[in-house]
Amino acid sequence: MKRTVASAPRLLLWLWLAAVIVGAFEYAPLAAKFIGQSSRILFFHVPMAWAAFTAFITAGVYSLLYLFGRRPPGSLRQARHDRAARAAIEVGLLFGVLATVTGAVWSRIMWGAYWNWDPRQTSIVMALIFYGAYLALRDSVEDAEKRARLAAAYAALGLVVTPFFFFVVPRITFSLHPEPVINARGRIEMNPRMLQVLLASGAGFTALFFWLHDLRTRVLTLAERALEAAAAGAYPADAANVASALGARASAAPHPNPSDPRGAGAADPVAPSPRTSNW
Amino acid sequence: MQVSGGIEWVMVVNLIIWTGLFLYLWRLDRKVRALESSQDTPSLETKP
Repeated sequence: MKRTVASAPRLLLWLWLAAVIVGAFEYAPLAAKFIGQSSRILFFHVPMAWAAFTAFITAGVYSLLYLFGRRPPGSLRQARHDRAARAAIEVGLLFGVLATVTGAVWSRIMWGAYWNWDPRQTSIVMALIFYGAYLALRDSVEDAEKRARLAAAYAALGLVVTPFFFFVVPRITFSLHPEPVINARGRIEMNPRMLQVLLASGAGFTALFFWLHDLRTRVLTLAERALEAAAAGAYPADAANVASALGARASAAPHPNPSDPRGAGAADPVAPSPRTSNW
Repeated sequence: MQVSGGIEWVMVVNLIIWTGLFLYLWRLDRKVRALESSQDTPSLETKP
């Protein structure tokens, strides 16, 4: 019974997005000025771009919490914010790539080419490059606390950059893109049925992002805990297997743990790696 | 009815993909929860 109640929101999400899919093909009419059935892809393309935007803003908020939270940077709670920011950007990149690919398919039908250097196409790719660089930055810094601080400052900068790329650039330049949902005159001039499906899809994809984000954050936490256990020489049940299964890398050193009597929580060079341990 | 031609099949394929993705995520969620509960109650054994 308890498990059923806990699963209810997820089942509701499955049902919701299944209804969105049926609605996109059965309920919503075809849009005028669109070739063939191509307008149906927008019920997925626009919410994916929205989910990517939500993800990048979420990462910025967690990064601010890391930098200006009440606990000192490097504490366990702050480390959670760092992991949450990283997870949000990873999931955001996934949605961003999907939005770009679905947009390119639509562009091929409407404009005759997958890529047209349209301002909106270009700006979302710029945003993806910006956040791809975030992951490269994380991989280039060895020290865990320094890595978290630099990454948090970078992702916090994204709070300015992301709205600029997603909303400002496409509006200050000529674009082939159809008018946004709220057009330049500040009105919504979309068929009501199309609008209903689009908004339902937006809500569903936002919920899907938060589920994926929660999952990824928990996976990162497990991997980090397993590495800490391996570094401390203590192997709680399945810890080594957890790190291995989650693809934890030796370079992903855990955050410094102030309670670690050895200080700084650095990995013990003598301790065997979780991958090679035959314990 | 708005649909015509093979678009129904596109809808069915979309539904199958979403259902498969959902089941994968649900299974992953349960696995992660099981690992979390096993880490919350560590055996406290130390490698000699």
